[in-house]
Amino acid sequence: MRYISFILGQLARNSRHGWTSQVMTLFTVTLSVLIFSFFFLIYVNMQKASTRLGNELRLVIYLEHEVADAFRHEFKKKITDFDKVDKILFISREEAFARLHKQLGRDSDVLEDLDPSFLPYSVEVYPSSDLKSLSRIKEFSDYLETLPGAVKVQYGQEWIERFGYFISLLRIIVLLSGALLILTSVFMVSYTIRLTLEARQEELEILRFLGATDRYIRGPVVVEGFLLGLLGAGGGLLALFFLFQWIKNHFSGPGLMNLFELSFLPMTNIGTILLVSLLLCTCGSLISIRKYLKV
Amino acid sequence: MALDEVSLSVGPGEMIFLTGVSGAGKTTLLKLLCFLEKPTMGLIEMNKKDISRLSGYELQKMRQHIGVAYQDFKLLTRQTVYQNIALAMEVRYENPKNIKQRVMELMSNLGLADKVHTPTGKLSRGEQQRVSIARACANKPPLILADEPTGNLDAAATALVMDLFHRLNEEGSTIIIATHDQSVYQESSHRLVNLENGKLQEIIKVNFDL
Repeated sequence: MRYISFILGQLARNSRHGWTSQVMTLFTVTLSVLIFSFFFLIYVNMQKASTRLGNELRLVIYLEHEVADAFRHEFKKKITDFDKVDKILFISREEAFARLHKQLGRDSDVLEDLDPSFLPYSVEVYPSSDLKSLSRIKEFSDYLETLPGAVKVQYGQEWIERFGYFISLLRIIVLLSGALLILTSVFMVSYTIRLTLEARQEELEILRFLGATDRYIRGPVVVEGFLLGLLGAGGGLLALFFLFQWIKNHFSGPGLMNLFELSFLPMTNIGTILLVSLLLCTCGSLISIRKYLKV
Repeated sequence: MALDEVSLSVGPGEMIFLTGVSGAGKTTLLKLLCFLEKPTMGLIEMNKKDISRLSGYELQKMRQHIGVAYQDFKLLTRQTVYQNIALAMEVRYENPKNIKQRVMELMSNLGLADKVHTPTGKLSRGEQQRVSIARACANKPPLILADEPTGNLDAAATALVMDLFHRLNEEGSTIIIATHDQSVYQESSHRLVNLENGKLQEIIKVNFDL
């Protein structure tokens, strides 16, 4: 208890002397955590959206003519020969027309003069949920096109490909911002601690003469790095939370944002970011201690 | 060579005056005793332990039991008188209540009661010297080393300092005072050790009974 109160007293003393560099470091760590966790949050939400889209993915085979009931079993078998599927639906022209009518809603009157048989026969294939990779879906689509009577296969390939590339890009940004977080946390904290130690050289020398132990001298310095990490990561995550709420309130509603069902980072991710920041900042202070504090 | 063929044994509870002209080696001897300098050869034992064989931690712990009043004071000039004296007790994790009581007592004993919150950088040299002495005595350590403790003091302040040393010596502290101020040891019955050109010249008992 006495040791803790001593450490707190020592920290307060250090803060009085070097508060400007400490505030700058805190700000930098906060900003780094905010940048990293912001991109990570987007990445997590995109991954979720990607999973959901994957679950809802369907490949539509447009046919020249309807598959007769007698051949449907064989047609299904040919599809499942390539890969597992969750569901296969045969859509008649009438069903397709009814769907379109429903989708158009109040504008459905545009269909009034049209022949309900103008839409082609089709087969909807819902691939198994473990069929996730873009290349595998493409292969599947190419295979389906070779089926007898198939005219065209659609699954929103362009959109899915772009989405996939965007997620890959996000992954790179997350990695880069993670590297930024590591660099700023370790180096900034290390630099601040170095400044603190340099400013306290005279005091440290006197402390050594008075018999101060390593624990007495190093303890507050390590705790300073630890606190910078804790407050920096806490501040960054808090800022992210407010930013998230603001985005949610201002951009929610019909449209793209609704598609993604934005959610904040799960507790495990928050805990990991906090822990990693703590470790990085503590490492930063330990590096400076090793380099500049000869007890 | 600052010291040559010096052999000195100090018993527990003794008070010794180390005399000699400037450059005689008094400060070097004190620095050797508090491990601020290492001897090129020879042996320094404390409590029958060779101090050159002590680990870093043992050395730190040993230093906590030695109060040193440095000739150049070694004070933190931006910190107050109170903080400077308290530091010696803080490194031993003493109870804050005890620290406060002891520091106030020492400041009162040495005529510094009105300087509690004054940064030591704003004190006169005499006052700084007394703060340094107060810090050395704060823990009532078993060994006190004082290097020219009265060099910057007037007669009244010298009397206060010597009174404090005598009291601590009576309580059991071993005290070694390096000085060339005759008024400090003239009337004393304690051992006098003279250093000349780094050699221990004589050990004289002063004030013997006739």
